[in-house]
Amino acid sequence: MSREAYQVPSMGGQSGFGNEGGFSSMAVDSPSVVYLCGECSARVPLKRGDQIRCKDCGHRVLYKERTKRMVQFEAR
Amino acid sequence: MAPVPTDTQWSVEFDTLRRENLFKNPPKDQTAYPTLAESIKPHIDSFNQLFGGSKILEEGLKDIGIKSFLDGENETPEQKKTRIAEGRRAPKRNRLNVRVTEVFLDKPTLPPTNKFSHKNRSIYPSECRERHSTYRGKLRARLEYQINNGDWMESVRELGQVPIMMRTNRCHLEKATPEDLVTHKEESEELGGYFIVNGNEKLVRMLIVGKRNYPMSIIRGSFVKRGHTYTKFGVQIRSVRPDQTSQTNVLHYLSDGNVTFRFSWRKNEFLVPVMMILKALVETNDREIFETLVGSVTSKGMKNTFVTDRVELLLRTYQAYNKHSRYDCRAHLGKCFRPVLGVPADMSDEDVGTEFLRKVVLPHLGNQNVTETQDYDKFKMIIFMIRKLYALVAGDCAPDNPDAVSNQEILLGGFLYGMILKERIEEWLRSFGPIARDWSIRNGGATFSDPSFERDFLSKIVKRSNENIGNALEYFLSTGNLVSPTGLDLQQTSGYTVIAEKINFYRFISHFRMIHRGSFFAQLKTTTVRKLLPESWGFLCPVHTPDGSPCGLLNHLAHKCLIATDNLEVSHLPKILVQLGVRAESSVATDDSVVVQLDGRIIGFCSPKQAQQIHDTLRYWKVSGTNDIPRGLEIGYVPNTNGGQYPGIYMFSQSSRMYRPVKYLANDGLDFVGPFEQPFMEIACLQSDLIAGLSTHIEYTPTNILSIVANMTPFSDYNQSPRNMYQCQMSKQTMGTPGTSIAYRTDNKLYRLQTGQTPVVRPPLYNAYGLDNFPNGMNAIVAIISYTGYDMDDAMIINKSSHERGFGHGTIYKTKVHTLSERDSRRSKSKREVTKLFGFAPGDEVRAEAKAFIDSDGLPHVGVRVKEGDKIAAYHNVRYDAASDSYVNVDGVTHFLKYKDAEAGYIESLRIMGSENGNEPAQSISVKYRIPRKPIIGDKFSSRHGQKGVCSQLWPAVDMPFSESGMQPDLIINPHAFPSRMCNKINTPLLSISPYLRRNNLANSIHPGMTIAQMIESMAGKAGALHGHPQDCTPFQFSEENTATDYFGHQLRKAGYNYYGNEPLYSGITGREFAADIYMGVVYYQRLRHMVNDKFQVRTTGPVNALTGQPVKGRAKGGGIRVGEMERDSLIAHGAAFLLQDRLMNCSDAQHAWICRDCGSFLSTQVAVSGSGASRRAAVNPGAAAAAAKAAPNQKHGSGATTVGALGGNAGIVRCRRCARSATFSDSRAEAWEDGDGLRFVGGDNVTVVAVPGVLRFLDVELAAMGIRMKFWVDN
Repeated sequence: MSREAYQVPSMGGQSGFGNEGGFSSMAVDSPSVVYLCGECSARVPLKRGDQIRCKDCGHRVLYKERTKRMVQFEAR
Repeated sequence: MAPVPTDTQWSVEFDTLRRENLFKNPPKDQTAYPTLAESIKPHIDSFNQLFGGSKILEEGLKDIGIKSFLDGENETPEQKKTRIAEGRRAPKRNRLNVRVTEVFLDKPTLPPTNKFSHKNRSIYPSECRERHSTYRGKLRARLEYQINNGDWMESVRELGQVPIMMRTNRCHLEKATPEDLVTHKEESEELGGYFIVNGNEKLVRMLIVGKRNYPMSIIRGSFVKRGHTYTKFGVQIRSVRPDQTSQTNVLHYLSDGNVTFRFSWRKNEFLVPVMMILKALVETNDREIFETLVGSVTSKGMKNTFVTDRVELLLRTYQAYNKHSRYDCRAHLGKCFRPVLGVPADMSDEDVGTEFLRKVVLPHLGNQNVTETQDYDKFKMIIFMIRKLYALVAGDCAPDNPDAVSNQEILLGGFLYGMILKERIEEWLRSFGPIARDWSIRNGGATFSDPSFERDFLSKIVKRSNENIGNALEYFLSTGNLVSPTGLDLQQTSGYTVIAEKINFYRFISHFRMIHRGSFFAQLKTTTVRKLLPESWGFLCPVHTPDGSPCGLLNHLAHKCLIATDNLEVSHLPKILVQLGVRAESSVATDDSVVVQLDGRIIGFCSPKQAQQIHDTLRYWKVSGTNDIPRGLEIGYVPNTNGGQYPGIYMFSQSSRMYRPVKYLANDGLDFVGPFEQPFMEIACLQSDLIAGLSTHIEYTPTNILSIVANMTPFSDYNQSPRNMYQCQMSKQTMGTPGTSIAYRTDNKLYRLQTGQTPVVRPPLYNAYGLDNFPNGMNAIVAIISYTGYDMDDAMIINKSSHERGFGHGTIYKTKVHTLSERDSRRSKSKREVTKLFGFAPGDEVRAEAKAFIDSDGLPHVGVRVKEGDKIAAYHNVRYDAASDSYVNVDGVTHFLKYKDAEAGYIESLRIMGSENGNEPAQSISVKYRIPRKPIIGDKFSSRHGQKGVCSQLWPAVDMPFSESGMQPDLIINPHAFPSRMCNKINTPLLSISPYLRRNNLANSIHPGMTIAQMIESMAGKAGALHGHPQDCTPFQFSEENTATDYFGHQLRKAGYNYYGNEPLYSGITGREFAADIYMGVVYYQRLRHMVNDKFQVRTTGPVNALTGQPVKGRAKGGGIRVGEMERDSLIAHGAAFLLQDRLMNCSDAQHAWICRDCGSFLSTQVAVSGSGASRRAAVNPGAAAAAAKAAPNQKHGSGATTVGALGGNAGIVRCRRCARSATFSDSRAEAWEDGDGLRFVGGDNVTVVAVPGVLRFLDVELAAMGIRMKFWVDN
């Protein structure tokens, strides 16, 4: 895999990207990940087992944000 | 200043800026494409009629009426005996009356259990698509009930949630403007007309049914099978109630002249003497019946002895029943039909008979609170039907063709939906009876008058009934299966709904214009139903029907054909007709009096001459708008002919009719004609077709007969007719633009063309239908030249540089739902039921390779590339811990979901779907994968003329031929197909586009080939591109005098090009000019969705069938391609023995099997067990081993020895049990062998190994099971 796991320095909250190789355990039990509300585009942080709905408008479809990692493919 | 309303007029122009503006600023007032919205109107309007407009459901509730149930006989047999002995009357049983007075359907909203949304509780369609749920609203009914004659009590019951059609009056987006639609994540031109069921867009197909309220004379051989003396003659009427449900009544002619009345009720057929129905309807006598049938004594009808004889017989045979008065007949009918009608036990026979007449006999003339006049109408109608039947038998009139559009109408989705809803409500009410009786038994014979009954009625009885009507409708829409106790007078039980696939917009819009003849006819061996009949002119498109099995059964509406969804106001019409001279008296002689009917009700009779005048007058009034005659009224005037259709004036004003606009010549006004009246009208197609003094109407334009899709074929009048059919098919399989709201769509598979363009050559209708919002192809520079040798047999070459610039670049979006729970994920779960959660198990160690794809929430990163077997989501098992109100994981094991497709894709977007209640953790995600598909060798393309081809090479631009101006073609196609294949048998332009020939003569072999219209398009496109203007390619605008080549040739010449469209080209390889000028121009090319990547199939080894050992079939399973008989034959003919051996044996089910040379059997060979047997002793005694080896010499020489070792295992000895005999004491130990049970045998050692197909042994076993032994002779 030619892909390097690249971490944006400013995004401190998301420590989940393991780039150490081999094994890495989860830093926290359930890190909260930010999703986008399908209705009002609000940023909704959710943890494991949280109920799925927008905290603002109560909408029931959440989008996952595009990854902050560098996405690079070989153009072949 | 008031804002200018959005312009809805479109021309052939490109209108680039105008369209850009429409895109940037979706209109706030109205759609810019009203014609497009108009095309799906029948669907929406028919649904709207259920609750608004003519309130079909309300009519249905009235038809259901009151259901009554009696409580049980509450006396023991002894009590009854004593009561009868004492002569007392039976104790009165209590009666429970129930009815539904009103049905409400709410717009889709969140359930009250959801406490989290406050601002907006509506559920919009886009949410249902994204959550893969159903767009549905709560259905409620006001249930009223009454015990004996007490007060009516009511309760509003919730009947579940029923799916709601998009953009109808129960949808939030009914009146949404394009801007509203965009804010609600819809297309700006979202049309609606479909349901969203489990995230799929489903629509109810329009179905052809018999014309309502018109008695059709029918000759059908199968009628003879109805019973003794039945003949093939019948008159059938499909009588439609105001709630759109129908009841078919048939009159059968018996060979002795008698007539019986047939109907079917709850899927059972019943026959009644027609005379009994007549006498039950009205109080009458034989003389009156005779005179209404035949005519008064002085009339001409009396001379028709054919009829008089039969009517006499009719009356005479009926004497046997000895039922004369209306009361007698009704009571008799009531007695006979009481068990099937489901009426309460205490109803009198006469009332049951009345109920029978109300429900079954011509209900279109009165189905509720039937009055005496309505009964008389029914009487008159049956008399008329008898007359028509006798005329049919006598040969005075021709049978009506049930396959002609003139005798058909359309069952609309909304109406069918209403019919099912009505039936479900009725079944629900009926179900109270048994439940109430059961309640009575459980409560120790409590009666309905008990106070406890009233208390328990709602909580115990209604509650126990199946109130979930919504579920039934959702089932209907998602499967298309009709579950119905009555059958709804329809001929099929499945196939009512289809998914409205959005492969491209043509496909999508065609679904809504599609009309199916019924799946019953698909199995029919005769092709008569598939024929294209002249009656269809202007209603069904002659071009747009698929090839193959649904040909002619699946038609599409002509683009100007409308469907009535509402009844017209015609209550004043009878009065007008009477003023015009319609009278009540009649006779059976049609040259004396002909009938005047309105919606299957006899208004009266007039002379044939008067009929003509009445028709002409009404038509003129109708078009000019005087006397309040509605313009949509169909005035079917059938003139008197010699043995033609039964004459009369038949007017139709009700819904489900097709009609279309034509110009009325008398006052140049717009007239609507229906399919029934059209065959008897003089409608000219072109100005040149006008016949002075005869023609009354003229078509607005001849292209009105084509469907939307067929209209988009440029210059279709120049093509050989099947080419246009193919184009209609292919345009619907094109990789196009399904819409602009792709981000919010969750279709299983979506095709998208990245580089769509507007065609240079297009008809003005292209803009009117707003098809530029959904581009379907690319303008390509096409050279027709044989250049590389890679363009044989409809292959084509793509310029590699064009390819690199994005020619034909496409994308597939696949949406997959990954769900954690095995059970239905859509059902809401309690907290306790959640057993799995997305995410890594707490404390589990996670490999970095999983992290490459999966984020810390256990879901994949959006944007990564995934290939087969990659892990895309992590989950772990949990248990709900009530104490901490959280989910705890015990095992600390993380499980993964994998990407299963063979083709790599990118994660385009990821949706987490919450529940409607908003209180569940993530249990399912919807992932959209993007698979880029640039054109590769083997992908399929086509022009707009049914000219498909496969890309055979991507040819480097440097080697492409070039013109004097330096132009290179994008595509090269081969001219070789031209000369022999452009055969066009009919030269009349109008006929050439219709596939009469094709469909009626299946032996006509059609070659794939060049089409003249494509050459014209090429020229027109070239000229249009050079001058920068669009070209109108509407068919029928050029003629022999004014040719298309001349028109476009002049344009080319003006641009400095050759008049004929060809130009000198230079070889890209040698740089020298070709000897011939090459025809090069601009043709609009479509990329078809059939791509090699979805089709290639290759196999060396792989899965095999467990039973036969042969490779399985099917690309998806990694199977092989069958080498069938024909392939085998050709290999034999070529003498390719080794290839044959390889295909049929080695790559299939070859195996080595032991066989006995002596008895020739596979089945009797068996392995001799080692251990106690020969081999161990052989080790002890080498001499014995040598003897054993000698005893089986065949196992020694050559390869035999090695195979023995391989197959015989350690023991190495296989023997034939059949040829062996039991070892005796005297046998040498060395010669004996032992089987698994320790029995010892001697002999049977003449066995060998052969290579055979596995199925041969299988066959042997099968035959042995039937007691047949196969014997093989083994040589060598």
